[in-house]
Amino acid sequence: MSTPTRSYLKVSYDLRPAKQVERRMLMDAFQRLTHAGFKIADYQYTGFGSVYFVDFIIFHKLLGINKLLSVEHDVQIEKRVRFNKPFKEIELRIAPVGDIIPALSQDVRHILWLDYDDLIRREHLDDILQAAINLSAGSILLVTVDVEPPAGDGPAEWRGHYEAEADDYLGNKRRLSDYAESRLPALNGHIIGEVIKHGLTGREARFSLLFNFLYKDGHRMLTVGGMIGTDAEQRMIRASTLDAAPYYRSDLKKPAYEIVVPRLTRKERLDLDCAMPCGNAWSPREFELSHGEVLAYREIYRFFPAYAELLL
Amino acid sequence: MAATVDAYPLKQFFIEMFTRDIALEDCILDLVDNSMDALLRIRQIDIENEILAFGTGGPVARRPRAHIRLDYSDKHFQIVDNCGGIRYEDAAHEVFCFGHHADAPKGRLGVYGIGLKRAIFKIGNRIEVESHTEDGGFKVEINVNEWAAQDRDLRDWTFPVKKVDGNVGRKPAGTTITITELHREVKSRLNDGTLDSALRKTVAQTYPFFLGHLVDLKINRIPVEKRELPFGGSDEIEAGLSKFEEEGVKVSLLASIAPKDKRTQELAGWYVLCNGRVVVTADKSDLTGWGAGLPAFHSKYRAFVGLALFTSENPALLPWTTSKRGLNREALVFQLARNRMTSAAKPVITFLNDMYPSEMPEHPPERAIAERVVQQDFRSVLQKAPTQFRQVAGTTVRKKTARVQYDAKLTDLERIRKRLRRPGLSASEIGRITFDHYLKTECPE
Repeated sequence: MSTPTRSYLKVSYDLRPAKQVERRMLMDAFQRLTHAGFKIADYQYTGFGSVYFVDFIIFHKLLGINKLLSVEHDVQIEKRVRFNKPFKEIELRIAPVGDIIPALSQDVRHILWLDYDDLIRREHLDDILQAAINLSAGSILLVTVDVEPPAGDGPAEWRGHYEAEADDYLGNKRRLSDYAESRLPALNGHIIGEVIKHGLTGREARFSLLFNFLYKDGHRMLTVGGMIGTDAEQRMIRASTLDAAPYYRSDLKKPAYEIVVPRLTRKERLDLDCAMPCGNAWSPREFELSHGEVLAYREIYRFFPAYAELLL
Repeated sequence: MAATVDAYPLKQFFIEMFTRDIALEDCILDLVDNSMDALLRIRQIDIENEILAFGTGGPVARRPRAHIRLDYSDKHFQIVDNCGGIRYEDAAHEVFCFGHHADAPKGRLGVYGIGLKRAIFKIGNRIEVESHTEDGGFKVEINVNEWAAQDRDLRDWTFPVKKVDGNVGRKPAGTTITITELHREVKSRLNDGTLDSALRKTVAQTYPFFLGHLVDLKINRIPVEKRELPFGGSDEIEAGLSKFEEEGVKVSLLASIAPKDKRTQELAGWYVLCNGRVVVTADKSDLTGWGAGLPAFHSKYRAFVGLALFTSENPALLPWTTSKRGLNREALVFQLARNRMTSAAKPVITFLNDMYPSEMPEHPPERAIAERVVQQDFRSVLQKAPTQFRQVAGTTVRKKTARVQYDAKLTDLERIRKRLRRPGLSASEIGRITFDHYLKTECPE
């Protein structure tokens, strides 16, 4: 139940700090991949820019990516989307993303972010399948889905949703316990992984998992991401410094990296920042903060955005 | 010497078992394949360039066309061709073997070296195969029951052969296979009045590029009419084309919509061809990705047509089954192709979804575009650069009108009729008059 204090601590959903931490961690990873020899600046970024284009701004400004393609399915807001396009370089296509993916150039490497804001559905799986079938070797595929329980009362009914939408990919995930609320992120990760494997059938390339983020700004969301690559790319990933990054995940069977954003005031953050990165036993002297929150902050402070009101 | 266990074949196994998994029609097609193969070999016809017209100006017509005649009654079954015949040497060491020798010259439609034997075992007990090439020929007569009774060791695995003269100066070279003492179940099927139609349909569907082009085929003296694959095109749409090569097999995938008169549930789906021979017809199952990467097939997709062309110098690399009536799902090239078939089909599916929108009452432009699609020779598409199925730029003219529909009280309509003194006015005419009236009086230009 929400208490007044809790409501006060709640961050506006629009700001979505955990999502922003995820974006910044992705930037960090792409920089590490750049150092390992992947020419990320030459990649094409394809995503759902909507009317905000947040990812596009970051990918363009921080990674220097100039090939940008935003896909929008809703014909009704075409003018609004065009109006809000922040850079000339962004190409806009109004079509289902599943139709666009097969036409992505084979001569370019891609970062494709299928950033859905709803529960996993058959249409999403078909898109992911097309990505695995068609993305050129060396490309990066990111998939985000909502992993809140589907409509219905309890795991037995939730299982119904997954059987209806993803039956071919459930594999041995048939026990009711696989559909417990706490297991839904793992279940979704499993499904996405299986779809990708299916799409790669017959291809020389394989999928190397790099990301398995779990976070919650309002709804609990899961982002599974990695590289579609041959032995050559896999060797380059192994030679990178990615495995030193706390968020790096290489096995979908292992738990996701959970982005935990402690609720802190600006003053508290300034104080904490002075001690970062802190030792394992460190805690602030001036105010109370649990050990868990300190450690959580230590992991994300580099990626944590600062929000302030800006009067324009 | 190390002890061994016996593992040699038994004739009865080949006669009884391996004829079970194949339908009579498919056995007959195997014999037709052999005739076609002889023709391709003798005339040195290149399937990729001359029939499917990869990278050339179009299919090459070779005259005169060869003939294949299938005749049957409840007493006999016969296939006669003038496709060039089989050499005595090939008959002696290759044609009647179960399976091909590794170094044997390969045909393009015959794959496994079992078609002929399986067909004759399936159909009857007495078989006569006579063949004449330009400079020689042979005759083999088999009584299957007598042959099967002699099975002591592999030396019994032979058929007696007679050398016969060549055909120069007489009728054209070719092969005749006559089967008599038909098996009871085969006789029953041959007597079934529906077999003729079924066989005609199957032959026409299987050889759309051979019939009327390289060969004429008659069943009981009546020609089989060729059937074109229902592939459509127009100036307003561009068919999807993608190509790749895997393990010695060239693959071309085409996706489009069928011409208007061929948009039926029966004809819609994927057609899979191996070396120009249709192996799978109008498939709407998960074999070709429906319900597995594509939505499950639905009647609104009845305009969809996809062609998957597999070609190879070595037919054993192609993904067909031994009956050539299905696909070997384990073939790596097919696993890869199946996924890419979903990629090729997706934009067509979107187009067809847009043709039947759930919310818009007026006619979407896609329907008008589809109306103008006519039969197209897909070989002209094969010459183009790979692309996705799409509407050609500039043709997506959104309609400039919208349908206005609303309910009006009958009493109000009657008042208008009275006012206009036109009692016979229809409701839609009243709608038009009142709309025009408002436009004229309230919205002057």
